[in-house]
Amino acid sequence: MKTSASNPVIENVRRSLGRQPGQATPARPPILPARQPGDQEAELDLLLKEINAVAGVAQRMDPTRLEAALADLVQSQNVRRACLWQTPFIQELQLTALLQRLGVEIIPAQAEKHVLATCDLGVTEVDFALPQTGTLALLSAPEKPRTVSLVPRVHLAVLRPQALGADLHQVFAEASRQPYLIFITGPSRTSDIELTLTIGVHGPQGLYVWAFA
Amino acid sequence: MSETPSYIEFAEYSEHVPTNIPAAVQQATARFLGNRQLRIGEMPQWEELRQAASDIRLHTLLNLDSYLEKLEQQVTQAGGTVHWAEDAEAARQIVLGLARQHNVKTAVKVKSMATEEINLNHAFEQAGIEAIETDLGEFIIQLAGMGPSHIIVPAVHMKKEEIAQLFQEKLGVDAPPDPIKLTAIARTALREKFLNAEMGISGANFLVAETGTLVIVTNEGNGRMCTTLPDLHVAVVGIDKVVPDWESLTVLLKLLARSATGQKITTYTSFMTGPRRQEGESGPKEFHLVMLDNGRSKILQDPVGRDVLKCIRCGCCLNVCPVYKNVGGYAYGWFISGPIGAIFSPQVLGTEAARELPFASSLCGACVDVCPVKIPITQILLHLRRRVVEGDSIAPASAAPMVRSGAKLGALAFGVPWLYKLGTQLLPVLMAPLAKAGWIKALPAPANRWTRVRPFPAFAGGFRQWWHRRKK
Repeated sequence: MKTSASNPVIENVRRSLGRQPGQATPARPPILPARQPGDQEAELDLLLKEINAVAGVAQRMDPTRLEAALADLVQSQNVRRACLWQTPFIQELQLTALLQRLGVEIIPAQAEKHVLATCDLGVTEVDFALPQTGTLALLSAPEKPRTVSLVPRVHLAVLRPQALGADLHQVFAEASRQPYLIFITGPSRTSDIELTLTIGVHGPQGLYVWAFA
Repeated sequence: MSETPSYIEFAEYSEHVPTNIPAAVQQATARFLGNRQLRIGEMPQWEELRQAASDIRLHTLLNLDSYLEKLEQQVTQAGGTVHWAEDAEAARQIVLGLARQHNVKTAVKVKSMATEEINLNHAFEQAGIEAIETDLGEFIIQLAGMGPSHIIVPAVHMKKEEIAQLFQEKLGVDAPPDPIKLTAIARTALREKFLNAEMGISGANFLVAETGTLVIVTNEGNGRMCTTLPDLHVAVVGIDKVVPDWESLTVLLKLLARSATGQKITTYTSFMTGPRRQEGESGPKEFHLVMLDNGRSKILQDPVGRDVLKCIRCGCCLNVCPVYKNVGGYAYGWFISGPIGAIFSPQVLGTEAARELPFASSLCGACVDVCPVKIPITQILLHLRRRVVEGDSIAPASAAPMVRSGAKLGALAFGVPWLYKLGTQLLPVLMAPLAKAGWIKALPAPANRWTRVRPFPAFAGGFRQWWHRRKK
């Protein structure tokens, strides 16, 4: 690894600050304290409310209503092809089979990006959720590709209450060592043209969040 | 617009502002400020957050060398490569070199002020490599061949009819003057580029030294596209964008979107550490981080001016500035405008090239009140004015020795009671011979500095005597 002796930028910085190589750095100034969350039901209500406020479609869901809700989604969003994360929970919900029964072609989540781009729907789980801003936080792994929540026109995220986090401190404590984390707050948007809000730019045009008990 | 200017004619530019600019800019700024106000109403700890953010940013700058070392170590450990660019040319060469090495035909770019600073698009154009802006506003102005009028909404000055015509001409599509349809056209056109580009180029909103993590915020999703789909990701980031750790982000992320557009948070915030770790995972195979100095290390020498490096590029100072709102971004002559432009450009381009900018302000201080990291912008403007006039000295302002000793003498003469009494008795006696008809036309040096310009009134009597007389 290059030592900073061969790094003129760091050398210039040191000289400007009058610091020596290896000089101790004082502790970082204090951060504001963490938030105390309310009870789980209230937190979930807050999360769903905030997601809906940013043009997401969030609701509570249970396995008995799942098939009907999926049929509705497939029809209203004209879903012909879908790709899914394969997490234990998604497998438990049998989402792949349910979608196939609705006539949706399933593309493996690890498919090449051009093939994945032909999908109308991407289904993921939610690793963490931040109620105050309606934010979903997703990690990345070979069986949980980043592209599934990005490339298809519609993103469906299924949520378990364990994912609820009190605030950024909590989520960061768990996720900061991970190589990738994405915060998703509503579908993609822009106001670049005459400040007119347009939903659906490069990321998904629709975000559906179904929260299970 | 991002061509490095040799002289910024702010006065000249602001006399010739196109008529559509102020109205468009004011509409955008009013919208953002209105929303920001709502957000602040929801945040009782807003002022504490600002102070914490300011403290963290300043702490980082004052220990920047060790945080840069940590950052390099962490990014390298994560499988990325760190390059160090002393100036814009070095940065351009590094990025172009990587593009050539990887036989890049098309690069897709996330909105990045650092890449505008180094005029990267022009370099790619010269090299015959396509570098496409993917942020909708940047995409539009790139097609139009113009620069941004606002940091956050760069094409806000263009009407939908103009944009429709532009798309018709440049993209060869039937384009109705409807924002939703125009956005859909851009989505289709750029999707093809995202999928086929060999290289994604970005900046970063923050670099976390603790883990070597790049943080990028967007609303459109183009940030994710550019840093996920191509096999090669290159980020060009100013060395001042480093933060110590993820905990620091808990403060800064709460301030950024609220200050910029009045959203609680942008639609997407990506936290990326190195290239993808495993085969079969999505994400870039190779990640390169180009750390850009371009004058920032020199700015650190100036104890007043260096606070400019705390900036998190929210654009809020633009939104409140009466000057910016009447002239728009072009008048500031470079990629960065408004109050932050007025204190950044002179420090990077030099006080000769940007000598007009520190004076492009009424010093109303509205920017100081809103800056999420509490940059003392008016203080720096005054400091830079002095540097412009006195030739770039960064020594702190010191009153001429004469004024200093004069002040000390004055403090003695007014502060010691018997001296003061003696003075009131002596002074009229000394001045009497110089007075003619109640006025003194000439005093000896250094008091002649006064009488050169106007006569000095002769003392009519002593105040104490007058006071005692009145009381009787």
